[in-house]
Amino acid sequence: MVHILGVNLRDTHVARFALTKFYGIGHHTAHRLCARLHIHDKCKMKDLSPYQVTALASFLSSPSTSTTPPRYPLAEPDYTPPPSNKSMQDLQNEFNALKAAREAKKLKRAKYAGVAPKATPDPLKDLKIESELRRIIRDNIAHQRMIGSYVGKRHAMHLPVRGQNTQSNAKTAKKLNRVDRYA
Amino acid sequence: MAKAAQPPPKRKSAGFSRTVKRDAQGQIIPEKKEKSLGAFRPLPAATLANPAFESDGRTVMKLPAFAPKPHLVGVATEFPTLENDPARIYGLPKKMLLEFRILSKPCSVVRNVTVKTAELLDKAKDKSSLETRVVLSGRAGCGKSFLMLQLVEHCILNDWIVIYIPRAVKLVDSTTPYEYDLRTRTYLQPAFAFQTLRRLLAANHAKLSALTTQKKHVFEKREVPLGTNLTDLIGVAMKEPPLAPLILDTVMAELSTQTKSPVLFAVDDFQALYCQSAYRDPHFVPIRPYHLAVPRLIMEYASGKKAFAKGAFVGAITASDTIYKLPLELKDALGLPHEHLPSPYDERSRPLTEYTTGLKPIHVPEQLSVNEAASLFEIWKEDKALTASMYDEVFLSKYTESSGNARDFVWKGLLATLES
Repeated sequence: MVHILGVNLRDTHVARFALTKFYGIGHHTAHRLCARLHIHDKCKMKDLSPYQVTALASFLSSPSTSTTPPRYPLAEPDYTPPPSNKSMQDLQNEFNALKAAREAKKLKRAKYAGVAPKATPDPLKDLKIESELRRIIRDNIAHQRMIGSYVGKRHAMHLPVRGQNTQSNAKTAKKLNRVDRYA
Repeated sequence: MAKAAQPPPKRKSAGFSRTVKRDAQGQIIPEKKEKSLGAFRPLPAATLANPAFESDGRTVMKLPAFAPKPHLVGVATEFPTLENDPARIYGLPKKMLLEFRILSKPCSVVRNVTVKTAELLDKAKDKSSLETRVVLSGRAGCGKSFLMLQLVEHCILNDWIVIYIPRAVKLVDSTTPYEYDLRTRTYLQPAFAFQTLRRLLAANHAKLSALTTQKKHVFEKREVPLGTNLTDLIGVAMKEPPLAPLILDTVMAELSTQTKSPVLFAVDDFQALYCQSAYRDPHFVPIRPYHLAVPRLIMEYASGKKAFAKGAFVGAITASDTIYKLPLELKDALGLPHEHLPSPYDERSRPLTEYTTGLKPIHVPEQLSVNEAASLFEIWKEDKALTASMYDEVFLSKYTESSGNARDFVWKGLLATLES
C-alpha cells in the first residue's frame, strides 16, 4: 500500500488510474502527472521508485509551487553522443550554461521589445486537489448566494441549479445541493 | 388468540451486500481471492499413463528436423529441442505462442520463400549487414512471423549470433520503464535493455565467450579493460541493472566490429517502431520512436547507420495490428501498395524516412500451396485436433474458405470447424 497525502493507493493498482482517487484528479490530469514523473502507462504502484513516490507526494502537496521541468534536448538522427567516460555532472553543467544563455537572450529581446518575456504555460501548476478544491467550490457557491443570484437561491433551496426537471427526479440535487457544500 | 403473524423475512437488498471485515486498527482486511489456474498447456503424451487416455493409439508426432532445403519444401518439420532454443529464451509473438501451446510440439511447414530467404542469409554470412537489410511483408496471416522464426532457428543451428526481438511493439506502447539520459539525448529503457542482454547471453553463451572487447570501455563509475570476455561485459549489466542500456550499446558496438561469427538481428512487429509511440515526455509531448534508445538502436541497424561486419538485419511487419499500422514512410521505402491514393500533401516525417533507407522487401506469398496446406492439415490431424471421418472434404472446404491464408486456414478453418 502506498500512502500519499492520506490517500491509500493499492500496490496492484495501475499508477495512472490510482491517481484518479484524489479529488480533483481525473484521467487526463493523471496521465499528465505520470508523464511529468516518467511513469509508464502500465506501471503499478508497487513498481514506483522511492524517488517517484516522493516527487508525487511533494508535487501533490503543493502543485502551484512545483518547478516546471526543463526542456532537455533530443538527439537528431545524425547525433553522436559524447564518450561514456564523460561525467553526468559535466553534461548537466553544459546544459545549464546553454539554458542560462538562452534565457538571457530571451530576456534581452523582451526588454528591447518592451514586453514581458513569454512564459510557457504549465497546466499542472493550476491544479487544485482535495481540500483546496473543495474550499474553492464552497466559496463559489457562497459568492453566488451573497450576490443573490438564481444559482445561489437554488443551492439554498436544495434544488437543481442548471434547469433540470423538478416535477420528477432531482433526487441528487435535493440530497447534495447546499450553500455550505463540502463544509 | 391466534399467534401474531411472523414478520416477513428480511429481503436481501438488490445491491451488493457483503460484510466487510476490519482489523484492530480499523483497516479493511482484504478477502483472499482464489488464485487463477493460469494458462492451460497440453500435457506431454508420456505423462498420460492411465489406460483411459489410450484412445486411437495416442503416439508422439514424428516429423523430420527443420532444415530449409529444397527437398523439404511442402513438408512439415519440427524445430529441434536445443539448450539455447531461441523460441524459449527470446519468446514468441503472441499468436504463434498460442498456436504452439495447442500443438504437442512446435513445428512448421517449409516453403519456397523459406528456402530462398535462408539462401540469402547463407550468402550474407560473410558480408556486411549493410548489404542484407530485408523486411518480410505480406497480408495478415500469410506466415511472416513463422518465416522469421524459421530463419532464426536456421541461423542458430549454423552458429550465428542471433538477437531476436519477437514483440517490438512492447518498445513503443508505454509498457516498460523509461528515463531521460542527457549523454545520448534519448529516453533509455533500462528494463527492456536488461532483458535483451540476459536473453542474448542465454541464447549465444558459447559464441559470446569466444569474443573479447577490442578496446577499453570506461563508464562513469566502472571500467572494463581491453580483452574482457563479452559474457563478463554482459555480466556487469546483470549485477548492475541501471548500466544495462549503456552496456547494450557497448555490446552491440563490439558485435559490429567482430568477424568471428555472423550476427542476425531479427525484429518482429517492425512497423510499430515507425509509428507514434505511446510514451510522453514531462511536457506531455509524444516521444518520437527515434528518441527512445532501443528503437533508435534497431532503426540505426535497419537503415545502415550502424552495421555488423558480418551479418544481416531482418524485420517482419505485423499487418493485423490496428493501433500500430504500417506507416506511410515504410510503405514508400518498401514499395508496398497504399490503401488510398497517396497524396503529395500527406505528411512524411523526414527523420523516419531517413531511417528507412536501404530496406528491401521480401514478399511472403499470400496463399499456401496445396501441398503446404496439406502438410499443415496433416500436423493438426495427427495431433487429434480434428474428429472428421472425411478428411479430404474438410481439407478442401477449409482451404477454399480461407483462400489459402495460413492463419485463417488453421484458426478459422480447422480449429473452428464443427464438422465431425
